[in-house]
Formats: sequence, C-alpha cells, structure tokens
Amino acid sequence: MISAAQIPIFIVIVPFLAAFLISIAGLFKEKYCQPLSVLAMSVSLYAAVATLIHVINHGVIHYHLGGWPPPIGIEYVIDHLNAMVLVIVSFVGFIVSIYSKKSVEQELPDKIPQFYTLYNLLVTGLLGITITGDAFNLYVLLEITALTTYALIAVGRGRAALSGFNYLIMGTIGASFYLLGVGHLYIMTGSLNMADLHQLLPSLYGSGAIFIAFLLILIGVWLKMAFFPMHGWLPNAYTYAPSSTSCLVAPLMTKVSVYVMIRIMFSVFSPKFTFQEFSFHEIVVWLAVVAIVGGSLFALTQKDFKKMLTYLIIAEVGYMVGGVWLANHNGIMGAVLHILNDSMMTLCMFLVVGIIVYKTKGHHFDNLGSLYKKMPFTMAAFTIGALSMIGVPPTAGFFSKWYLILGAIDANQWEFLVALIFSSLVNVVLFFRIIEFAYYPSFSNQHGDAHGSEKIDEAPASMLVPLLIVAAGLLVIGVFTGKIVTYIIQYTIPNGL
Amino acid sequence: MKAIGLITVFSLGMALFYATIDFPPWADPQSPASLHVSPHYIQETMKETDVSNVVTSVLADYRGFDTMFETSVIFTAGIAVILILRKYSKKEDEKFLPEVSEEAEPDIIIQTVTRIIVPFIQLFALYVIAHGHHSPGGGFQGGVILGASFILLAISFNLKAMLRRISERKDILLGGIGLLIYSGIGALCVLLGANFLNYKVLHLIIPEASQVEARSYGILGVEIGVAIAVMAIMIAIYANLSSDGKYDKGL
Repeated sequence: MISAAQIPIFIVIVPFLAAFLISIAGLFKEKYCQPLSVLAMSVSLYAAVATLIHVINHGVIHYHLGGWPPPIGIEYVIDHLNAMVLVIVSFVGFIVSIYSKKSVEQELPDKIPQFYTLYNLLVTGLLGITITGDAFNLYVLLEITALTTYALIAVGRGRAALSGFNYLIMGTIGASFYLLGVGHLYIMTGSLNMADLHQLLPSLYGSGAIFIAFLLILIGVWLKMAFFPMHGWLPNAYTYAPSSTSCLVAPLMTKVSVYVMIRIMFSVFSPKFTFQEFSFHEIVVWLAVVAIVGGSLFALTQKDFKKMLTYLIIAEVGYMVGGVWLANHNGIMGAVLHILNDSMMTLCMFLVVGIIVYKTKGHHFDNLGSLYKKMPFTMAAFTIGALSMIGVPPTAGFFSKWYLILGAIDANQWEFLVALIFSSLVNVVLFFRIIEFAYYPSFSNQHGDAHGSEKIDEAPASMLVPLLIVAAGLLVIGVFTGKIVTYIIQYTIPNGL
Repeated sequence: MKAIGLITVFSLGMALFYATIDFPPWADPQSPASLHVSPHYIQETMKETDVSNVVTSVLADYRGFDTMFETSVIFTAGIAVILILRKYSKKEDEKFLPEVSEEAEPDIIIQTVTRIIVPFIQLFALYVIAHGHHSPGGGFQGGVILGASFILLAISFNLKAMLRRISERKDILLGGIGLLIYSGIGALCVLLGANFLNYKVLHLIIPEASQVEARSYGILGVEIGVAIAVMAIMIAIYANLSSDGKYDKGL
C-alpha cells in the first residue's frame, strides 16, 4: 500500500507523530514514553539508511509535499550530502534515546513525558532542516530546533537557566538574521525554493541586495554554529544542560548548521558567487584559524571536563568552516567527512561525560579519580574517542584532518595548516592529562578509604552499550573511510569548483 | 563594549540601507515577488483547492507543510513552559514564603458579564475557524479566541474556576490531539497512496467529494486541528505563567 517513494517522508514524520503520542502517553503511563521514543527513532533511522542506499544507487530524490510541484509548493531534495547528514542525525537520536533512560530518570524524574516530547521534536527539527529543499521551510524547522533546545538546556542544574536564556537571545538573533536574508532573496527573486533560487540568482549577481542577503544568512548560520566571534553562548549552555540534552545537542546542532552553510553556499548560491563574487574566503579561513587556536587555548584553561569539551566543539567548528572556505576539493571533502567524524567523536565524548555524571554526580576533573579501575569499559571507549579527537591513524579523526591538511596545502593557506597541527598538539596535552587524572585516585580522596572505591563500578548496560557501539563506530568509520569517500563524499563537491 | 555595539549596529544599518537601493519600487506590480509564484496562487486557488481565500489556501495547502510545523512550534512553546515552570511538589516554595492573600474581592459586575459573554466569544471563535475558507480567519485566529475565552474565566474568577472546566490533563491531551489531527490527515494521505498532505486522495474516503473538494475538506480538517492545539497551548501557557507553575489560585 505504501510505495517505496514515500520512505523519505517517514524520516521526519515518524518522530514528529511520536512527539504527540508521547505527550499523550505521558498522561496515562509514564513508562511508555522512553520506549516509544526509541521505537520512533529506530523507524526514522531505518528510513534514513534506506534513503541513503537509494541515493547511492539511483541518485537524487525529489519529494513534493502536498503533491505541489516545486516553486508552488514545498519540496524535499535528498542528495548524497544530506542523505549522509540524515543518517548521522537519526543515528545520534537513536543512540541517545536508548542512553537517556537512566540519566533522565535521575536528573528530571517528574518531567519525563515533557522531556521525551521535546526530544522527539528536536530530532524532527534537525532532520527537517537537513532534508528540506525550501529556504523558508528550513527556517520554520530552525525555530522548532531552537525552541526545544532552549527548553532542554534550561532545565539543567546550576546556571542552566541563565545560560539557556543567553542562548535564547543569541539563537533568536541568529534565526532573525537568517530570515532577514531569506526575505531579501524573496524580494529580489520571488522564490523560496533552493533549486529555483539557484536558477534565478546568477542574473542578479553583483546586486547589492543579493550580497547583503548572503552576508545576513551567513552571519545567522554562524551564530547558530558558534563560529568564532559569535561563540560566547555555547560553552555555558552545553555545560549546564542535562546530560541527555548535551549528548543530543552537542554532536548535532553545530554540525547541522555547518551543513546549512554548505547548502546555502553551493545549492542556493553557487561556488562562483561564493568564492569569486563574494571573495572573502581568505578572511573566513583566518577567522577559522582564530576559532581553532582560541578554542584550543580556552580548552586548556578549563578545570571541568564537560566545559573543556565545549571549547573543543568551537575549535572543531573552525575545522569545518575553514575546510569549506578553502575553496578546493580536498578542503570541502575534509569538511564534509569531518561532519560525520566529529559528530561521532563528540557524541562519544559526551556519552562518557554523561556516564561520569550519572555515577559521580559531577563533571569536574576531581570527579575523574581512578575511573580506569572503576569503569574500564567506559574509559576504553573514552580512550578511543580521545585518540580520534587527537587524530591518531586508525581512528576516524585522522582521515578528515588529513584531507583538511591537503586542502590547506592546495589553497596555499599555510596558517590553516599550522592551526590544525597546533590544535592536534593541544588535544594531545588535554586528553593525556585527562587519562592521567582518571588513572590515579583524585587528590581529594587520598586520605579516605581509597581501596573500597576502586572496585569495578561500571555504568548500567543501557548507557554502556550505546557508548561502546559509538566507540566501535569510530574505528569502523576510520577503516572504511575510503569507501565512504568513494560512495558518498566525492559527490558532495559542488559543480563548477 | 558599548562602542563595539554601536559600531556593529551602525554598520548593520548601513548594510541594510545599501541593500534597499536594489529593491524593486514599493508596491510595484512588476516586482519579482508579484510575478513569480503569486499569480499562480491568486489565479488557480478556486480551480485547484475550492477555497476562495488565497491566504488560507497558501497557508493550509500550497505551503501546508510549513503550517504544520508552525503549529508544532506553538505546541513546543507550551511543552517548554510546562517543562521549565511546572512544579509538581507543592510544599517547596511555600516553606519560605508566607501565604499572602492580596486577592481582590470578587467583582459581581465583571463575573456576571464574563458569564454572559463567554459563550458568545466561543461561538464567534467557531465562526472564525469555519469561515477561514472565505474570509479572514482560520485555525490560529479561532484557536486564540477560544483560548482567550477560557483565560477570561481565569482572570475574572480565578484559575481554579477555569481548571474545573478544562483540567490540566484534558488540556495537554487536547494539545496533542490537535496536532495529531493535522499530522494524522497528512499521514492518512500517505496511507491512501499519495504524498504527505496531498489532500486530493481524501476523495476516496469522503463520500461524494471531487478531488478539488477533497482539498477543501482537508484544509478544514487541519484548521480544526490547529484551532484545538492553539487553544490548549494558550491555556497551558497562561496557567503556568500566572500560577508560577503551581496551578493553584493564579493571578
């Protein structure tokens, strides 16, 4: 009855419907909320993988919502780039929905239905941003994503409400900039469809309004992804959020924003406009260099594991933005591959933090004492993640960094190369310091009953298994990087570059 | 810091000024925005959707997918307010704050007028919802008016008086149902073999409706869903904000 052509819509619509079902189920039986969420995420993941395979075998998919052809109605366009991002988003959503059970029960015991309702809406929003081929539809889903994220961050502990409010202000400004830019494009062309805009815009290149529109959209997206001068909201918001929220938001939000930036640069505008008419790409790469170096240095000064990771996210955003704006094949390939790798590495790291918070009630360096003895599996996964963040060969992190370095050499942007190597070295220091803290008992416990606390005290299976899957995934992605590049990444390079 | 802010705002303002130079003249019928897709909506709306109000047909059909998510933005806001503000454990704050009874005397004029006017407000809301096809109106507006009628009760009596008529549970249930109606109609189209929200296949299950009329019925269905959701969320947001998430007396 349902034809295969309908599969793409299920990626978005299943978590969406599930959100309302969870809200209603929560009124009757709270314990159904989390399983419903897992079920919805698994259907969504299945549909996303099927779509990716279809795209690899048969090419781009167009799906007309309401049956209206593109400029009149809204259209979903799925090519190699967003098929990959869809799989990433639904995979992270699936993993975290399993993982979140214990941690939500601990942190938000009386708000479980609301948490999972917003959780599903957040994943819907991220999937919808990724899948759409309509510039305004993207904005609507950006709103859903933003609103759910504000709420999910603000229910955390400590200064969460304040940092959530801070994020609300910055995020709203970012969304307004995006909308203002899209408004300019609509005034100048009369269209909101991305492919249609791509056709209409070249005759208008050189117009001041189009230039400003591009600038406004870029600034809006940069605010959303916390690119260097606009990063201030991110560290506190992600640090004080509940564990499950940060596990979901930290790997996805910035990466989906990077995806939106790539989409706007190449699918709405064109490489010709972005790199020749606009001609600021060298400045943007310099900004990325500052982001990488600054993010790494701030990470060095932190005494809190989770906050340190949030600064590393800022550095990683610099990697991806810089890679895209290098304006050559290797740079863009590195950036796209890094969307995949970095979301997995960040997910791995935040899952570890979530487990540490669940067990020790904190994420300060003092909480890390002798964790290698207490939680050997968790810390093994952490070590793989750390090696990947540093960029040690068999892990995924190495390969995207390698492409980025090649891109920097091709573009003669040596400062980007230096920044990449500097950041890798800083990561070595950061993570080996953590390994050292976690290997020995913490100083504050020295006088106490050290022996009693060093028994194996591993996290519950519902948290540990997702983490181990992700850690193994980092190795698998690293080993199969060649295949991923041949089948997916090489098609994401825009025409005419 | 102030200087940096001033420079930023000033340069943004200049950039926006610069952009307007290239804009088409104000209200120009030859501007791209009035030539590209708008003529299609204006000329074809009756033929394609059987809805004479272009705003409604664009909102609920041509770009109905956007509207579904806009409705869920409202739902999200309501759930977010509940997530952040709602306090289930009752005694926590009251330990520190003594019970203050600054409640105004119930005013007989206000209460009587409210009693008389609320049914009419609700009737008008139903009219606005149903008449969205032909005149300004529709689910959002009607839903807000419906919600306002309940909020008026809460303001002129107290929150309890409103909660007696629509409890917290019922309210959240209605919010979810409203959106399930909208997305359910969309999913029904998929089950009947067409694309999501392609109402024309509904003619298979609506007796004696052509494909075009089916679109009109589909739009009415989603408008009703929007109205229910908007009403419920308005009430939930008001109840949480006015009682600080405690659902007691309210303002």
